[in-house]
Amino acid sequence: MKRKWKKNGSMTLMMVLLFSVVMSACSGNSGTTNSSQTGTEGTGTPAATTTSGADLIKTAKVPAGSELEKALNGEYKGKKVTMYGPFVDADEQKFNASIKAFEEATGIDIAYEGSKEFEATVNVRVNGGNAPDIADFPQPGLLEGFVKSGKVIDVASFMPADYLKQQYKESWLDMAQMAGPENKDITAGVWARSSVKSLVWYNKKAFDEAGYTVPKTWDEMMKLTEQIAADGDPAWSVGIESGAATGWPATDWLEDIMLRTTTPENYDKWVKGELPFTDPIVKNAVTKMSDIWFNKDYVYGGRSSIVTTNFGDAVKPLFTDPPKAWLHRQAGFIVSFFPEGLPADQYDWFPFPSIDAKYGTPALISGDIYAMFNDRPEVRAVMEFFTTAESLQSWIKSGGVTPPMNGTPDDWFANDQERRMSEFVQTADTIRFDGSDLMPGSVGAGTFWKGMTDYVSGTANLDEAMQEIQSGWKK
Amino acid sequence: MRKKVKAPRRKGHWLVNLILGIICVVWFIPTLGLLISSVRPAADILQTGWWTVIPHRQWETVSQIKLDRDTDLRKPIEVNGQSFPDDQLKAGVEVGDQRLIWENRRARTVDVQEKKWGSSTNFTLQNYETVLGGKEYKITQPDGTVQTEQGSGMGRSFWNTIAVVVPSTVIPIFIASFAAYAFAWLKFKGRKAFFIVVIALLVVPLQVALIPILRDYTALGLNGTYFGIWMAHTAFGLPLITYFMYNSISQLPKDLFESAFMDGASNFTIFSKLILPLSVPALASICIFQFLWVWNDYLVSLIFLGSQPEVQVLSMSIANLVGSRGSDWHLLTAAAFVSMLTPLAVFFALQKYFVRGLLGGSVKG
Repeated sequence: MKRKWKKNGSMTLMMVLLFSVVMSACSGNSGTTNSSQTGTEGTGTPAATTTSGADLIKTAKVPAGSELEKALNGEYKGKKVTMYGPFVDADEQKFNASIKAFEEATGIDIAYEGSKEFEATVNVRVNGGNAPDIADFPQPGLLEGFVKSGKVIDVASFMPADYLKQQYKESWLDMAQMAGPENKDITAGVWARSSVKSLVWYNKKAFDEAGYTVPKTWDEMMKLTEQIAADGDPAWSVGIESGAATGWPATDWLEDIMLRTTTPENYDKWVKGELPFTDPIVKNAVTKMSDIWFNKDYVYGGRSSIVTTNFGDAVKPLFTDPPKAWLHRQAGFIVSFFPEGLPADQYDWFPFPSIDAKYGTPALISGDIYAMFNDRPEVRAVMEFFTTAESLQSWIKSGGVTPPMNGTPDDWFANDQERRMSEFVQTADTIRFDGSDLMPGSVGAGTFWKGMTDYVSGTANLDEAMQEIQSGWKK
Repeated sequence: MRKKVKAPRRKGHWLVNLILGIICVVWFIPTLGLLISSVRPAADILQTGWWTVIPHRQWETVSQIKLDRDTDLRKPIEVNGQSFPDDQLKAGVEVGDQRLIWENRRARTVDVQEKKWGSSTNFTLQNYETVLGGKEYKITQPDGTVQTEQGSGMGRSFWNTIAVVVPSTVIPIFIASFAAYAFAWLKFKGRKAFFIVVIALLVVPLQVALIPILRDYTALGLNGTYFGIWMAHTAFGLPLITYFMYNSISQLPKDLFESAFMDGASNFTIFSKLILPLSVPALASICIFQFLWVWNDYLVSLIFLGSQPEVQVLSMSIANLVGSRGSDWHLLTAAAFVSMLTPLAVFFALQKYFVRGLLGGSVKG
């Protein structure tokens, strides 16, 4: 008996010791963290004193008498604006770096709070009367509900239409129009960051060494795929695993092919639910996709590995030596999944090629819309600031984001690939927003993901999968 | 006689031990896997399972065969005078005690492999360093210079969690012990009715209360404050703790209180001098429960406390570690272990009382 007690005692002692060691390591580290943070602040301050309020915003003509102008004159010093959004970690750091100059120039504190559970908790917050001043919605479909119930402030009520037209292309402004209460359209928010999705990435160094050329059309791309297969490698690396959101990369593929095989009007109808998934137009697009995906010579690991490969890991076979796969279709953000330290001249992208010359090479995009829940002068000023490229300056320079607003100087982009993405969106014949983000949650974040996953894994055939996806509209 | 009595008891022990053993193994193996994964490099975790660190027989390349560069991969491929379909070479085909598998299809090289003892012994503490010290972010500043920013490690959220957990454990246990004493030994009107209400509250899921409470908190200005979350955890924990403490306090012998009362002790003296010392085992075990519940809580903190860095608790900072797109999943293993240490320390520190309580009952019988 006694021995047992002793054993327990020593175990406790050990745990306490171990714990204190870890804690001292913790506190030691937090100490260095603090010092390094003050270090960066120290180097940042002299630069900030040179940025006076007046010359902070260079890319936009700030309308005279606007709240932004007043803020830059220091009228709202000491005010706090709360913001809530889904980006955490590195994205949060880049965001904070981008707004630092504004905060220093105006004295407004933008308190950003990021949460991985944004989609789930923003409802609770808003309905609980605890809405943030500004919320960042990556899925406009989610924002529509709040607009409908009249919780969102119409930004056109304080930003002149001319100013908005000067800052954004027409198509962006159209996408921000949402039906408010009594079905009156309002401008639900401002677009603050975007991502181009119609990109095919490749390992430029290996690609050039192997003597392959960038395909301009779908047929050329299929020929290249076949050529790579004959040379001994699968051309494509595809992965759609993403935890609870498994299947979303497949929806992006399908949307891209839809835009290239049918009219933009049909695409819009499809997104609104007027063109069913069971329609031959949609089925035709899915079949085009399966031509690549279900050919075991074309996909790294074969069809069965598509569902189990994480979308972020799927790009990695492109950059092994020698490459295990050669092409990867994914949005611009995927560069953050590239191996660390990969020089920018070793990778590149080409637009997802045109299938039917009639429909050209459209750009599929996604983006974050910032909506405003509380109407105060300093919140207006911050919203006006978000329409300028300066609000993204650090982020653009660090890479991984395409500015939706006009007037970003070319030399801000981290590299040529990023600059060309922005150019691609600005010059594309057709721009359409990611359809699954616009569809209601039960489809866009529900049956669409699940149905595509079932189809790819082989648990459902084409007809069954399309019916399954379509059933989400009835919910 | 003695033997006869002992024999069935031993048999019972054997069965209990076996079941306990099975439960232990079922819990222990995934934990072990997690621990091993936490010290492996992320690239290795993607390639092989954690169990490959245990020495086992695996295929190792002993030589390579270079085929003709123009070999057609869609026809059977000739290797060493035998021909195989491409699929077999992809998966690996066994010839005798050797295995043939593609090394590089493009270069048309085939590996010849033999089974050998080996294990993957590539270990790193990088995950722990990142979790404790914070990640490094390279951010280009507006003036074009690249600065490395050190993200905050777990230190701050650790102390935030302590600031949430300790009061959220002490307050409800304190209140519930008083209540349990009252329900068990004081006579007052509506005692049964009150007690039934408390028991009924056990079945109310806390999720239904989130939005109403959030509204009240907004009106009172309690959102995002420590006081707010203490109250929330206290309220959500009270029914169970009251019930638990009632069970233990009502079992105490009645004579004890009667004699104390006759000696002129007030209710408060009885409570502090008799009840509290006697119910230490129960207090210790409910303390462990409540502590673990609050420590691991994510939902309540997410709603009432939020994730501003000044108040963010561990469970949230761990969830955010993986990044916006989940690219840093490998850090979760290390983070899980770091966050496990405190509850383990608390458990082992209080377990002594817990076990003593059980033994105390059995000896007295």
